[in-house]
Amino acid sequence: MFLTREQEKILAGEYGWARSKALEVIVKVGEALGAERLIEVEHAHVSGISYTNIGDAGLELVQDFYRGRAYARVYTTLNPGCVDLLSYSQIVDNRYRDKQLILNRYLEAMGFRPTYTCIPYLHRKPGPGEHLSWGESSAVIFANSLFGSRTNREGGPLALSSAITGYTYYYGLHLLENRVVEVSIAVEAKNKCYGALGLWIGYNVKSIPMIRGVSNDISGLKLMLAASAASGDHGLIVIEGVTPAKSYIVSDKVEKMYVEDRDLEEYIGVEPSENDKVLGYIGCPHLDPREFFELVDKIRSRGKSAKRDRDLLVSIPAVYSNLFIDEIHELKRYGVDVAVGTCPIVSKLREKYDYLVTNSGKAAFYMSRLHGLNTYIASIDRVLEIVFGG
Amino acid sequence: MYVFRVSTVVVNGSCRGRAAVIDDYISFFGEVDPERGVHRVRGKRVADRVLVFRGSRGSTVGSYIIYSMKKNGKSPICFIVSRVDPVLVAGAVLAEIPLLVVEDFDSLISTVDDGDLVEYCSEGGVIRVYKT
Repeated sequence: MFLTREQEKILAGEYGWARSKALEVIVKVGEALGAERLIEVEHAHVSGISYTNIGDAGLELVQDFYRGRAYARVYTTLNPGCVDLLSYSQIVDNRYRDKQLILNRYLEAMGFRPTYTCIPYLHRKPGPGEHLSWGESSAVIFANSLFGSRTNREGGPLALSSAITGYTYYYGLHLLENRVVEVSIAVEAKNKCYGALGLWIGYNVKSIPMIRGVSNDISGLKLMLAASAASGDHGLIVIEGVTPAKSYIVSDKVEKMYVEDRDLEEYIGVEPSENDKVLGYIGCPHLDPREFFELVDKIRSRGKSAKRDRDLLVSIPAVYSNLFIDEIHELKRYGVDVAVGTCPIVSKLREKYDYLVTNSGKAAFYMSRLHGLNTYIASIDRVLEIVFGG
Repeated sequence: MYVFRVSTVVVNGSCRGRAAVIDDYISFFGEVDPERGVHRVRGKRVADRVLVFRGSRGSTVGSYIIYSMKKNGKSPICFIVSRVDPVLVAGAVLAEIPLLVVEDFDSLISTVDDGDLVEYCSEGGVIRVYKT
């Protein structure tokens, strides 16, 4: 791989062990994939920081980087950890609170922003053509598809290394020549269940698609993209009329596909029965402020608490614990469990449920696997009906 | 003695030790116990062995597990694989464990058995296998 003189110096350890080791990770991974050089990134988003997922192994590495005087060279945000930072949640298990807080302390001491959210674009909206090194597949696909930014789907250690060095390898979705649409998908389904649509795309489409026939409702697209990045390895989905021009090219040969209501049925699942113990869940990916307020309004206007054997969990970015503390308390009065800076995919749950009812295809995908739940994907209104009654 | 050509040296370093052979891809997260240095599924010790396996798969947490094995003194002394992915490369770099890709991996894995002596000299270009 071609390296600049400055990069050679970092690698040789002139700026210390941590930066040298971090750059070596990027160079070696880049070489293994066939990258020819490195590029500077504007923003790193570090995933894989939940103690539940990475355990003592991850904690040790972060600790070693911290002790090796690593410091953020670029704007760096952090993905959710495994604890509710307000400690109000009765659903998310805070058993690893102490370990997670130690991990957080090291990360923040290295200059990473305590965002603890999977929607880093809430804190800093990336520009078109901007190079990023982001972990968290749902954020990656949002940045590429909605902002026209450029990032691969990175793992935790690679994004951490980018944060410490400011570089990533120039490969994959960083190059326009790899952002080529090869499939055109006409959405003919009348039920705009974006979570299920996303799962269908992830399972059934292997190359970069262009989607036609969906609205420009950003919240819906966010659900669709997150689900497709969970059930498949998508990093970019072009949405007609939404994805910025010039951030992708269209192949000469484009295969045509259609998706109808009956294709989505198996991903939507079946409604729970009255006897099932149900967890309603909204907030995967985390809610932006508009989505959060709309949800608060809907719950407020219903004016009642959750039914027996029905719980509702809402997960939101860490910054809301200050900004929206009144709304969080209001939701608590309706028996709604709000978890801040975490989510049930990267944490443990205190109780066993039979069923997950959610608007998120990504949550359905992971929670059926991680927590062994039956799943049903529905609109927010339907989720609320199931939890609070009609 | 059998000789196999190394096509790519991803992480360099000399090594000499007994082989642990797993003819499969390994998800280090879940399948390997970093405290004991054991491949749980096969019940096979990988600590202090030259680990011959196809490559890694699964969660990116795998990189951290490799690092943890090294810190616990329970890591393999070398990785010999058929192909690499970012999880394995990042783990091997962080843990400073030699990582070698072998050209004719299928014939290597049909030759080498658990306990055979495997040797690689830094930049030597070949792996030597001594049957026991």
